[in-house]
Amino acid sequence: MPAPKPIHVLSDHVINKIAAGEVVERPASVVKELVENALDAGATQIEVEAVGGGRQLVAITDNGCGMGRDDALLAIERHATSKIQDVDDIEHVATLGFRGEALAAISAVSHFTLTTRPAADLAGTELVIAGGKLADVKDAGCPPGTRIEARRLFFNVPARRKFLRADATELAHIRQMFVVYALAHPEVGWRLVVDGREAMRLAAGATLGDRLRDIVGADLARQLRPLDLTRHDITVRGYAGQPAAARQDRTEQYVFINGRPASAAAIYHAINEGYHTLLPPGRHAPIFLFIEVDPEQVDVNVHPTKKEVRFRQPGAIRDAVIEAIRRALQPTPTTGITSSLLTMPPPTTAIAASAEQQIKLLIPDLPPPRTFQFPGLPMLPPSAPPPTAVPGAAPPAAAPTPAQELKNAAHSPWLWCRVLGQVGGLYVVLETEDGLVLMDPHAAHERVLFEQLLKQYTSHAVKSQGLLAPETVELLPATAEAVRENLPLLREMGFGLADFGGDAFIVDALPACLGGASSRAVLAAIAESLAKGGARGGSARAVEEAVAQAACKAAVKARDVLRLDEIEQLVVALARAEMPYTCPHGRPTIIFTSYGELHRKFGRA
Amino acid sequence: MKLKVSKEKILNSLQKVQSVVSSRTTIPILSNVLIKAEKDRIHFTATDLDVSVIAGCEAQVTKPGATTLPARRIFSIFKELPGPDIELEVDDKNQASIRSGSSFFKLVGASEDEFPPLPKLDAAKTYSLDQGTFREMVRCTCYAASHDESRPMLNGVLLSFKDAKLAVVATDGRRMALFEQEVEFPKGSEGDLILPFKTVEELNATLQSAGQLKILTTPKQIAFEFDDIIIMSKLVEGTFPNFRQVIPAQAEESIALERETLLTALRRVSLVSGDNSTSAKLAFSKNKLEITVTAPNVGEASETLPIKFTGRAITIAFNPDFLMDPLRTLTSDEISLELTDDMNPGVVKCNVPFLYVIMPMRVS
Repeated sequence: MPAPKPIHVLSDHVINKIAAGEVVERPASVVKELVENALDAGATQIEVEAVGGGRQLVAITDNGCGMGRDDALLAIERHATSKIQDVDDIEHVATLGFRGEALAAISAVSHFTLTTRPAADLAGTELVIAGGKLADVKDAGCPPGTRIEARRLFFNVPARRKFLRADATELAHIRQMFVVYALAHPEVGWRLVVDGREAMRLAAGATLGDRLRDIVGADLARQLRPLDLTRHDITVRGYAGQPAAARQDRTEQYVFINGRPASAAAIYHAINEGYHTLLPPGRHAPIFLFIEVDPEQVDVNVHPTKKEVRFRQPGAIRDAVIEAIRRALQPTPTTGITSSLLTMPPPTTAIAASAEQQIKLLIPDLPPPRTFQFPGLPMLPPSAPPPTAVPGAAPPAAAPTPAQELKNAAHSPWLWCRVLGQVGGLYVVLETEDGLVLMDPHAAHERVLFEQLLKQYTSHAVKSQGLLAPETVELLPATAEAVRENLPLLREMGFGLADFGGDAFIVDALPACLGGASSRAVLAAIAESLAKGGARGGSARAVEEAVAQAACKAAVKARDVLRLDEIEQLVVALARAEMPYTCPHGRPTIIFTSYGELHRKFGRA
Repeated sequence: MKLKVSKEKILNSLQKVQSVVSSRTTIPILSNVLIKAEKDRIHFTATDLDVSVIAGCEAQVTKPGATTLPARRIFSIFKELPGPDIELEVDDKNQASIRSGSSFFKLVGASEDEFPPLPKLDAAKTYSLDQGTFREMVRCTCYAASHDESRPMLNGVLLSFKDAKLAVVATDGRRMALFEQEVEFPKGSEGDLILPFKTVEELNATLQSAGQLKILTTPKQIAFEFDDIIIMSKLVEGTFPNFRQVIPAQAEESIALERETLLTALRRVSLVSGDNSTSAKLAFSKNKLEITVTAPNVGEASETLPIKFTGRAITIAFNPDFLMDPLRTLTSDEISLELTDDMNPGVVKCNVPFLYVIMPMRVS
């Protein structure tokens, strides 16, 4: 048995080094901590400089409020901060930092120089610290604001230094960190200097849309739809990508909570739910999510670097995010602009309003979504309530206001297109204004039928087509049970269905939009998915799944050779669909190759 | 093989076999046409293995023989030749020389042996019909056939020879078209045959309005002989559902309607149909029929027709396409629509032995 070692209190020096291990993990963490300080100091211009992947130098210069000499000396002490006073303040902290650890931690593991001047003072202060020991304090001439340099990071912690990756990797982390904060604060001007060369310059006072276009490029920016939802005290803003832009991982999903980059399992779950039926499992659409919520509803003090946050009411946040995404991607159905003239308000206002809205339509924040106008009849409010309506029931919903309709001018994938033919007896080739489109007719038809049936189902206007001779459909015991449990749901979907005893059912009507599909195939497919879905629960999802299965069975088969007019009909119907890019199971319906890409491939760039 | 033939006649025959020559086939020989010369006739045969068409014409044959040549190519060459006569000579290596006026062509063909042999119709039952009548029966029913591959026996048209009558029936489970005519055939030749849809299309394209038609069948094959043409086809295997049981025994109301007026009204209102689930609502009241189509997100349309009707008011919804199909193909001025209520099938009848049963749509 080893002799007991005496217990002693660690020196501040050691404590700082240990704390530094939590806060400063790599050069990018230095960038994060110092950028947050700069933002908390109210800077409108921030410059990030890195040399040698941040190993040799990380420097952040801001034009924020700066510090006087006394404050500067205090700031480098551990747990010294201006951001909170006592523990209650943590509850509603509105600044990015508050722990008062960053400067102490960084200065403990680097050659640290802090130069700062409040705008009101004549002279600035320069502090030089090496490995946590204050080496020099002197006056310095400098512009208002603060510049902090951290050289030779981890020079006194070889263990940590060994874990740093190649310069390029560390630089990539710094750039990522830079991008995250630049996105979170489009109003601030940013500059990134790498090894003495300017790598990125972002103008101050930008909107989020501008900033996104600068950072992710115009191609991706075009595929983004604005999110805007306020529900109680939760606001969800930002941009959600079209499913077509999805990728294998979450690297293009950015979540900001009260301006703070953060992640929370509840939010990622909500994003997945929002894209349900639009993306296959394992695909993630780009999303830039800005959630504003009462600071008291969030606990940011979970993780030393505040990467993870917790919510008091994760359910409410989740619902808000799901709804925001759904709204952005599946806007209310729209028809032509003319409809605004048919709701018949006084003529003068109607024309004025529609003119104004047209202008809005033409100059949105982002490059306009590609519009597709079809010769279609404008929407009319039903002139009489449907005969089946119960007397005294609520009148038919008022026609959507023109503004609503115009807001989401058709979100078709193309302005015009021409059907070139079908290849391999399967894929349809289309020419559009921007390039070449390959369409999978089965997936496309599935999407069209899915939306039709779901729309009819949710508006309780399902039309069903009677069958000449009722068919008896015999199912497996497990699926039969699922059908029996969901008889009301299936009847609402338009199935004329009766229990025939045993595991058999009598079908005397089918949802009309399923066309000539056989009742046996459709019912069996739905029953199977219901039986499987029983474990998953969630009735809204069960409906979607059932409708998706029905659509799948009724859609044209993969090997059907289609006539030209059938293809054209399908193309038009798909372009009208709310979510034309994927089938209800999330597989793509169309693959787009732009002329630019073709030119590149043919070396015509 | 050596022969001389008039350009007009050879083009006419070749035209009739073109439609079964597939442009994208995995078996190259199927894009060739088999040419057989014997005595004073030549025969052209094309097949896609499901349907085969044989067309013949007169020719001055100096040396009988057989070969196969690319079907589309010789058709376009013959069409452009100056004419009026074409000389065709084929050597042992299946190389064809074509001469006409100042033109000369040499074409590479393939041996007759490579061409798939046609089915033999031994011990076949035979029926004899009027071409025009049969064409009309098929034309008035075939649109109701199902295209859902999971029920192959509905993917075609039923020819039911029974009780000295031929019934031609097609259904997709939602509507059914039936045309019944008395025909003469031997007592032992009763039976049901299901024609594949492709063969029906071929018949529609080639049958003439007058002349004799001979039908030969074995349990799996069928052949139609008329004029200078033979169409051979497989039959669909399976049993056609008992079509007589879906015909309503009687209806409460029988309404006489002008076919053309009803058709144009339906055609107009269905211009607003949004998708394939649109229904046309037919409201019959005293001497008035109102047809309404409402399509969410598209709009609505209605037509009011004066009719002779004094019965009980009925409102019923149909798929407008299903209702228009028979109106388009029939030729009589007046039809009658028999209805009971909004849940029971409607029946379209006219002055020919035709009957069309259509199930209504329901809106939940």
